[in-house]
Amino acid sequence: MDALGSLQYLATGFGVATTSENLFYCLAGAIVGTLVGVLPGLGPIAGIALLIPATFNLNATSAIIMLAGIYYGAMYGGSTTSILLNVPGETASVMTCIDGYQMAKKGRAGPALAICAIGSFVAGGLAILGLVFLAPPLAEAALAFGPPEFFSLMVFGFVVLSNVTGGSLIKSLMMAVVGLIIGTIGLDPVSGNPRFTFGYVSLLGGIEFVAVAIGLFGIGEVLMNAEQPVEILEQRVLVPRLRDLYPSLRDLKQSVGAILRGTGIGFGVGLVPGPAPVIATYASYMVEKRISDHPETFGHGAIEGVAGPESANNAACQAAFIPLFVLGIPFAPPTAILLGALLIHGVNPGPAMIAEHPQLFWGVVASMYIGNVILLLLNLPFVPLFANILRIPKKVLLPLVMLFCLTGMYSVNNFMLDLWVMLGCGALGYLMRKWAYEGAPLLLALVLGPKLEVAFRQSLMISHGGFGIFVERPVSLVFLVATLGFLLLPLLRYTVRSLGHRAAAV
Amino acid sequence: MRSVAGIVLALTLCAGLAGAGLAAEFPAKEVQIIIPWAPGGATDLVFRALAAGTSKHLGKAVVVVNKAGGGGAVGYTEAMQARPDGYTLVTAVTPLTILPHQATTTFTYQSFDPVINVVQDPAMFQVRADAQWKTLSEFLEYAKKNPDTITVGNSGAGGGVHLIALAFEKAAGVKFNHIPFAGGGPSITALLGGHVHAVSCSPPEGIAHVRAGKLRIIALFSEKRFEAFPAVPTVREQGVNFAMGQWRGLAAPKGTPPDIVKTLHDAFKKGMEDPGFVKTAQDMTVNLAYLDPVEFGKVMAADHDRYAKLIQEIKKQ
Repeated sequence: MDALGSLQYLATGFGVATTSENLFYCLAGAIVGTLVGVLPGLGPIAGIALLIPATFNLNATSAIIMLAGIYYGAMYGGSTTSILLNVPGETASVMTCIDGYQMAKKGRAGPALAICAIGSFVAGGLAILGLVFLAPPLAEAALAFGPPEFFSLMVFGFVVLSNVTGGSLIKSLMMAVVGLIIGTIGLDPVSGNPRFTFGYVSLLGGIEFVAVAIGLFGIGEVLMNAEQPVEILEQRVLVPRLRDLYPSLRDLKQSVGAILRGTGIGFGVGLVPGPAPVIATYASYMVEKRISDHPETFGHGAIEGVAGPESANNAACQAAFIPLFVLGIPFAPPTAILLGALLIHGVNPGPAMIAEHPQLFWGVVASMYIGNVILLLLNLPFVPLFANILRIPKKVLLPLVMLFCLTGMYSVNNFMLDLWVMLGCGALGYLMRKWAYEGAPLLLALVLGPKLEVAFRQSLMISHGGFGIFVERPVSLVFLVATLGFLLLPLLRYTVRSLGHRAAAV
Repeated sequence: MRSVAGIVLALTLCAGLAGAGLAAEFPAKEVQIIIPWAPGGATDLVFRALAAGTSKHLGKAVVVVNKAGGGGAVGYTEAMQARPDGYTLVTAVTPLTILPHQATTTFTYQSFDPVINVVQDPAMFQVRADAQWKTLSEFLEYAKKNPDTITVGNSGAGGGVHLIALAFEKAAGVKFNHIPFAGGGPSITALLGGHVHAVSCSPPEGIAHVRAGKLRIIALFSEKRFEAFPAVPTVREQGVNFAMGQWRGLAAPKGTPPDIVKTLHDAFKKGMEDPGFVKTAQDMTVNLAYLDPVEFGKVMAADHDRYAKLIQEIKKQ
């Protein structure tokens, strides 16, 4: 498909997307998406699934426009509670907690919220361009990732990202190991035997990531606050001034690079099978911290640490539509549910889909542009409103946060065990905070660990136990060499420097 | 049969005329279907659509509730403990006859009374269109000469299509190298990318790619040919005496009064025949296959035994 042809199709797509009916469903999807993103626990997966039955009587295009809107809309909403309350609104907003919440503590909740909306908007717009012009070749390229390639990529990600927030390397690695251990609970992915379930049927499905994330960050923070003296709890914590509600020119200047880099990282990672939005946010944070000329501000309210990851998760979410539409294969759970919705409406996504259903494909793509504009307009005016939540005295706010976490978590799976896991992780999060352990490496390991294990064992099954499979495949080899380089580089630098010193001494 | 019917009748009468009086008013409130998996899967989509089409025949709303967790065990345990009054149903699908062999569950298929079977999905092997094997006999011949060489992906260790692949391997007298993936989607991706030779799956997995000419069905395990691809012969037609598939139906907690089960069965049967539902099923490439409670019970019992044997064999390895 040539570029000019794509533009022509896109123009027809806008014709489809701008009918009053489709505009309405786009708006509805954006609003619902923002809401499920804001509520802790409830994420895009639950939001889309709950609304599928409501689309039974719609035509396929309107239905998909609305459901897709929920997915990317949730990426906008997810940052809100991360910034205000240190509670990740959905899984891809874990990294936003780190600097976003610090910004809020310093009275800069407004700029943080606004930069999230702006970053998401820019990332969304650019990523859709990628979807329009590059979809088919990129989707084919994604197929090159088999189990060995995936394993090596995961190893690379693990080594590079496990110390993402800085601090003590030993402590980060300890937390990563705890995450790996938690990730082994449930049915063994290869033999199907139960592992570490101690006879409890409820543990067969493993430990829910969202429960751990909300527990470690949200509940841990509530407990930490609860130990403060009563006078502090009764104070109104922060009263932001009106002119501090939106980002300053300096904020914007600092964020531009982060937003663009976040978009690139998110788009690339979004094409690879796996929990793309989560990994993309970690990677973006890592990059921003590395190249920053003031890395010491990260973890204490650096705006780049919010702008980068929030752009990355939105770009990853748009990129995830490429394998869905072009291959008919969902790489992530939310797109798996969208696939179900497409099937229900008689659209079988796959190599022939763009040709068979041009109205639907281009209509949905065009609606994503409109949806992103709607979301920006929807989110920016809410910034003062949300920022004012912090005016509520803590003695009222903290129990409310607790309540939201509990109801939000229960509504995801209607499953009591999730609540106990969340509360247990809350206690753990409190202790970790006391002794300066980071939650981020634990969560990363919990996401990557099971995938890493499956890819490793699949590869060895394919090769009948031969480890050569990881170095014989070029893509896999590249990632392994990169990992080795990353580990050896500091050592090499140290050796060269000490040799230099010795030479100078002689 | 008559004596069984007589006992059932007597028991119903003994249970109290009050109960019978209540049953006459069934349903007095909405009926809920527990789905032991997260929303968005094939079972979830089929039964949400069926619930929408059945409400008008039942006179009360049919509500779908997802109780995910424990690979399905959580939802089944809860459904088993629900009051057997017909207001709580559960989707009875193939894993109900697999799970009890894998872990110590509190339930088996016998903890439930069958209501109706709705779907029978044919299981199949797909290969890439450019695979070296053009026919089933070429495929099996190669497998015989090179045991443990052909890699066959499946949607999860110990899951339905994995066990079906193991059973087929025995019936055909060959040995494959089975590679588990986290779901049907990832296994199809690996096949498209050429990382495995074949994939054991059931529709709609891979069907879009078969239509687009990227994948081929090399072995079809259903009793009859698959409606969507009438040119593809079953393996039984080609001399391998084997047929297996996965079913999706509804069951009620054990002890639900037979007349209530009948009311529910009749309503869901009408729901299955609803043109809107039939079209949705066609669009999703879901193979509708009605079975009454007795027949459905027999299918569950047969598969329960079959999977018990298969899983014992895996555990021995």
